[in-house]
Amino acid sequence: MFAISGIAVNHLRDWNPNYSIVRKVNIVPSLIGLNNETAIVDVMMNSFDVKQRIKANYWSSENELKVFLDDGSNLTANLMSGAIEFEHIEERIIFKSLNRLHLNEAKQAWVIFSDAYALMLIFLATSALFMVKGKHSPRGRKGLLVLIGFLIPLFFIFYS
Amino acid sequence: MIYIYGIFIVFFSLNIQAKEYQFGDEVNEAQLVPISKILAQPEAFLEQPVTISGTIISVCEKRGCWMELASDARYEKLRIKVRDGDMVFPISSKGSKAIATGLLSAINLDLEQSKRYLAMLAKRKQQEFDPASITEALTLYQLVPTGVKILD
Repeated sequence: MFAISGIAVNHLRDWNPNYSIVRKVNIVPSLIGLNNETAIVDVMMNSFDVKQRIKANYWSSENELKVFLDDGSNLTANLMSGAIEFEHIEERIIFKSLNRLHLNEAKQAWVIFSDAYALMLIFLATSALFMVKGKHSPRGRKGLLVLIGFLIPLFFIFYS
Repeated sequence: MIYIYGIFIVFFSLNIQAKEYQFGDEVNEAQLVPISKILAQPEAFLEQPVTISGTIISVCEKRGCWMELASDARYEKLRIKVRDGDMVFPISSKGSKAIATGLLSAINLDLEQSKRYLAMLAKRKQQEFDPASITEALTLYQLVPTGVKILD
């Protein structure tokens, strides 16, 4: 869970790990100059063949109307340019659930569980240093791997 | 194995069906003030607990750390802002009604910051912007909430 969500959240700048947001724009010249709200909404809905229930409307300026649909998607019409933007929002259900836990957005009980899990991981990593004997022990050549394990984070702390 | 799949399906179904959200403390609807009244005289409400309500018109896409509520007056809106991770507002709640209790705070921009801020808004809306047309610094107002309820 932490590994999958970790990769997703690492790339927050490149993609949205919680939602898939798709935007499409249609230019509808007949929209320019319309001043009847019902007619404007009809043009907006027909432009993208949207059949969903309208949840709310909002005029963000004299020339811009937003229409919010039942599933969280929305349409924005610019009455000056005739541009209608359709924004379709879909939750990435599994990623969103995992990210919510990873970023500690859940309740306190999860924090206790994840602390306990982290302590067990620390125990797993440190106990491994003493459990293996002989030529595969960290005192032999495998010690190089332990050293690299320390050096990589130190490199990024001091040189990045 | 089939039991594990079953548990996953039940959990994720519950997640989808949860349409109402409560963040932080309970909202205090007794302190409800229209957004238009706050924006008409923001200084009178600064650093005071107030409750606002309105349709959610936009939400922070990256971290869900802010959202904007439509005012009861046309073309107006007020932003609700939390520290990253304190509350995570779902983008899919755009168009739903939200009620929020918190403190109103002011952000005083200098002239240069005001120009950059307005330029950024114009760019986002693909509108032309002339920085020379801005001669006064802006003050932005936002609510820092202690509790937010999003209704279906």
